[in-house]
Amino acid sequence: MHEFSLVQGLLKRAEEIASKKDARRVLKITMEIGPFSGVVIDSFVFAFDVLKKDLEVFCDCELEIRQPRPSFYCPQCKKEVELFGTNEKERNFLNNLSSFIARTCPLCKEAILSPRGSDEILILQMEME
Amino acid sequence: MCDTCGCGLTSQKREVVSLNESLLRENDRVAKKNLEHFNNLGAFTLNLISSPGAGKTTLLEKTFEYMPKDLKFAVIEGDIETERDAERIRQKGVHAIQITTGGACHLDANLIHGAIHSLSHKFKEDGLDMVFIENVGNLVCPATFYLGEHKRVVMLSVPEGSDKPAKYPKAFLTSDVFIITKVDLLPYFDFSIDEARKLALSINPKLKIFELSAVSGKGMEEWIDFLLGFLEKKKD
Repeated sequence: MHEFSLVQGLLKRAEEIASKKDARRVLKITMEIGPFSGVVIDSFVFAFDVLKKDLEVFCDCELEIRQPRPSFYCPQCKKEVELFGTNEKERNFLNNLSSFIARTCPLCKEAILSPRGSDEILILQMEME
Repeated sequence: MCDTCGCGLTSQKREVVSLNESLLRENDRVAKKNLEHFNNLGAFTLNLISSPGAGKTTLLEKTFEYMPKDLKFAVIEGDIETERDAERIRQKGVHAIQITTGGACHLDANLIHGAIHSLSHKFKEDGLDMVFIENVGNLVCPATFYLGEHKRVVMLSVPEGSDKPAKYPKAFLTSDVFIITKVDLLPYFDFSIDEARKLALSINPKLKIFELSAVSGKGMEEWIDFLLGFLEKKKD
């Protein structure tokens, strides 16, 4: 539910940048939202679509969200371990995050893996005119 | 003029700006200011996060009962509505500031900033030993917002179930301490301490874990010693 606050913060910051650049309209905002960021992407997009209508500078603005895959670390092998297969279902980790918690390392088959990073919420770039 | 062909049509120049900045940049900037204020007051600060009813206020009430009486505490209470929690803390003789968010599901650094000015004013002569921030009861949203605390504490009560660390990973990922509360109820619920520990540690191996009951007093002494340890470190 904090997605609305986050989008308010995003629009405030984007408006600042647009005005600094003397831009009339912001056409596109690209974000990176990590799988462990605690952000529900659908709610974020919904909040963006609702709130952008209040501000003329964003009326046609498109939102692109990139979602990096989480990486996992094995304390025994002392390295990052790839947990994802190639099929679409396994890649769709966001709907299935809890199944990636407390997984045993596929290499040593002993240690429990820990997620690394992947909790960032970044504004990558803005396109404006 | 159109830059490409000189056709006479006006065209706005499209510009792409690379930012690569955190959306929480402004919150984190204010949070760092908050941390400076807490340090100036001499207050070691903890941010308590849990779902509603996990026992944050009760743990604080009990903590103040166990603490040496010469120490100075303050509590910043975050709730959607009412002064109830602040009143309970004041009953224990501890200064409490209530922040009512009026609907928002979490505290952010700005809300804390307002409360700090009132603390700084009241305690500018004597300073403070410890400040507890009791966040809005919610295991999701508060985890995203750094408030300027020294340590973050996530709490989970026995009736909630031991699978919760897997379901709410961010709260466990960003915390330093994990407290399992209401352990006096273990005989009545299907809660596995082992499962809760294993899940939490897999998300964040650095978590310091406590098991306690504010009602029976079990585990309270370890928790109090842990807190007092920070005050000793501060004196060194």
